[in-house]
Amino acid sequence: MALPVKTTDFLQETGGISVFTGRFFKEAFKPRYEISEFLRQCFVIGYRSLPLIGLTGFIMGLVLTMQLRPSLIEYGVESQLPAMVGIAIVREIGPVITALIFAGKIGSSIGAELGSMKVTEQIDAMEVSGTNPFKYLVVTRVAASTLMLPILVMISDAISLFGSYIGVNINGITSFPLFYTQVFNNLGFSDVLPAFVKSFFFGFAVGIISCYKGFYSNKGTEGVGQSANSSVVISSITIFVIDLIAVQITNVLNLN
Amino acid sequence: MAKKTVNTIKLGAFVLSGLFFLIVLLYMIGKNSNLFGPSFILKAQFEDVQGLVPGNNVRFSGIQIGTVKRIKILKDTLLEVEMRVDKKMEKIIRNNAFASIGSDGLMGNKVINISPSGQPAPLVAKGEVLNARNGVNTDDMLQTLSKTNDDMAVIAAQLKSTVQRINNSTALWEILNEETLPRNLKRSAVNMQLATARAAAMADDLQAIVSNVKNGKGSAGAILTDSSLAMNLNEAIAKIKGVGETADELAASLHAVIKDVQQDVYNGNGTVNALLKDSTMVTKINSSLDNIQKGTHSFNQNMEALKHNFLFRGYFRRLERQKQREAKKTMAFQEQRPAPADK
Repeated sequence: MALPVKTTDFLQETGGISVFTGRFFKEAFKPRYEISEFLRQCFVIGYRSLPLIGLTGFIMGLVLTMQLRPSLIEYGVESQLPAMVGIAIVREIGPVITALIFAGKIGSSIGAELGSMKVTEQIDAMEVSGTNPFKYLVVTRVAASTLMLPILVMISDAISLFGSYIGVNINGITSFPLFYTQVFNNLGFSDVLPAFVKSFFFGFAVGIISCYKGFYSNKGTEGVGQSANSSVVISSITIFVIDLIAVQITNVLNLN
Repeated sequence: MAKKTVNTIKLGAFVLSGLFFLIVLLYMIGKNSNLFGPSFILKAQFEDVQGLVPGNNVRFSGIQIGTVKRIKILKDTLLEVEMRVDKKMEKIIRNNAFASIGSDGLMGNKVINISPSGQPAPLVAKGEVLNARNGVNTDDMLQTLSKTNDDMAVIAAQLKSTVQRINNSTALWEILNEETLPRNLKRSAVNMQLATARAAAMADDLQAIVSNVKNGKGSAGAILTDSSLAMNLNEAIAKIKGVGETADELAASLHAVIKDVQQDVYNGNGTVNALLKDSTMVTKINSSLDNIQKGTHSFNQNMEALKHNFLFRGYFRRLERQKQREAKKTMAFQEQRPAPADK
């Protein structure tokens, strides 16, 4: 139901999102910027997501450490646990998990919000009153999610590493300076920068897909639920697809 | 409006914290590769960098001081490694320090180890080429190991055949199964021990004797050490020599005498010649001897008759007593005793 099953539906969806993306870029750089609405959206999308993302990040760091530990002990490289967890979190787990949680929380809220505005014809009313609904509703949200997700990813990485430090210390004893020395000694720019860059794309994908789904929601309350649901599903899949493309690009550019 | 400001402040704090962590992360990584601190370039030339890549660590006596910046190929047998080293090390590293390629653990990343040579030398300058020293190369190690393995295989094969031969040898197993052998061996060992003890005692005695001889005790010592004895011996030998010479002369005289006698004998002069050569004389002597025998016998009869004659009986008895008295005195007298008895 959520996924377009027919090929024509799929192509239509893809084309629609492409046009929508083009329209976003066209509108985004045209003056009369909705600064205060953008900041409000940043607050809602970024700041309000922090507790959820912080919690998941912490748990991920802790659990990943404790799950990796037995295997590393088997190979006698238990001391490399911080390095390994650090690389896993910074390169992959941090951006992807954060983006998925972000898609779940923000994608559904944007989809539902814009969908219900569409259903209740508020968007049409806005257009009549002379406000550009695309600029006011879509550009601010997409820009906010694009810029907020990388910051969320960074904070999530920090919290995850802290969780990992606790995880390391549950079974063994490692001082904090040793832990962070080990983590940072094994990280390079090639680990951090691609992850940081790809989280912009994750954020943009979540914003644009959710807005598209909400903006072109079907009539009726059923349509609102549908647009909320499909925003999350398609955003999540797109995150993985972008991740796949990103790892290929990193390999081609020989950054890892 | 107030609420909006608070929200904006919260948003600002949120964004700053995210950016802060990003900057910290980038700074920490940058610090490790000395991107931000002051640094200078050092070089080292190697024949083989063994998989070293830009970004690998450079260590000075085990402390991280920088990273590999670039690896250039100078010619087909020489590579030049440029290292970005912490500026502070400029006052520490001397230009006779050695650079070697090692690895971080057995399987870890390659590192460049700069080790001081311990000899006094001026400090390094920027871009100076350090002496390279070949560290332990795992490839070389494995090659040596493989050679060792081959040798081991040969040795193992030979050992195998040796063991097989030992196993197939009945004589050896008989010796091993023999129960009396260890006992005998043990006894032999005890005997050996006794023998050696005796030998030791003997050696002690010998030593004592030798020391006595050295000190001139005993006859051997006297022979070996007494100089007066040697002189006496010399004199004695000289005398013996003289006696020998006299004996020579005597023998020569004897020889002459014998020669004369021989001549006389052969030429028919004197009694001996007559005795030896004249056969008629032999018969004469024989008949004479016969006559003498007969005469003696008659004389004996006459003497017996005389003894029993009363005129001479007293004289004979007296003579008999006197003989018995004197018999105990001397041997010479005893020998003379039969003479009167024969008469």
